[in-house]
Amino acid sequence: MNPNAAKDLIVRNAFLCAAAVVITSCGTATFSKTGSDAQIESLRNFELAFIDEFAVPGKRFNAAAFDTKLNQGNAKFQQAISDEKFTARRPVLVDLKGQFDADAAHLRSKASRGKVTPALASEMKKDVNKIYDHALGR
Amino acid sequence: MLTRSTIMPSAGKTKRKKSSRKRSELDSALDQVTDESVAASMKEFQDLLAQAKGDTSELIRQNAQELEERLVLLKQKKIDKEDFNFFVENQKRDLRVFVDSQPAQSQERAEKLTLHILEIAATKIVPVLIMMI
Repeated sequence: MNPNAAKDLIVRNAFLCAAAVVITSCGTATFSKTGSDAQIESLRNFELAFIDEFAVPGKRFNAAAFDTKLNQGNAKFQQAISDEKFTARRPVLVDLKGQFDADAAHLRSKASRGKVTPALASEMKKDVNKIYDHALGR
Repeated sequence: MLTRSTIMPSAGKTKRKKSSRKRSELDSALDQVTDESVAASMKEFQDLLAQAKGDTSELIRQNAQELEERLVLLKQKKIDKEDFNFFVENQKRDLRVFVDSQPAQSQERAEKLTLHILEIAATKIVPVLIMMI
């Protein structure tokens, strides 16, 4: 093979390898982003269900059930934070955990004194949806 | 900062520009306040809220809308002061990122139309509304 043709072949192969690496990494990033978004949606659904379960006007406060659900939530958030592949997303998840902690504290305080109103529940859910939408860049 | 489009100097006094917006339930409640010691805060709040509701940023408009709705819920006793303060803290947490991400020249205005309004609402408006209940 003439030396120029060999050189061209090497350059072409190197270019194709580089292109393949770029395309593969983009695919992985998209896949991870989709997974990360799904994780955030899962946390949103958990938090909304938590509010639905405990922000019920007139419902007797069950501290044991509340703590069980709270522990589940804490574990779910911690898992999501440690599993997050996108390092830039971790602070977002930490912020969402902060919101969950604040919601749980307020809910415990109100529900344990029988001071939950329908407006409180609906406004809490409105805030959760807004904060999660912002976390997802919507 | 009060902009020229909202406040116009006139014979040494500031006068509110005529607004085409409808009087909201909150405006009607605040207009009943005659105590001069809180009148300035009321006016500042109403002016800033009107500016925020007409801002080009959706986040600023949304924040103003939510704040107004929650003040009305408080007045109607559908939520209490604890709930209101909780929601204000949520809003502040959410808005700090927005304010910090604004260009330097827009930051002061963004802060005034978001965090500052929330602060006035919590410290000046809520006590007045509670007294009216």
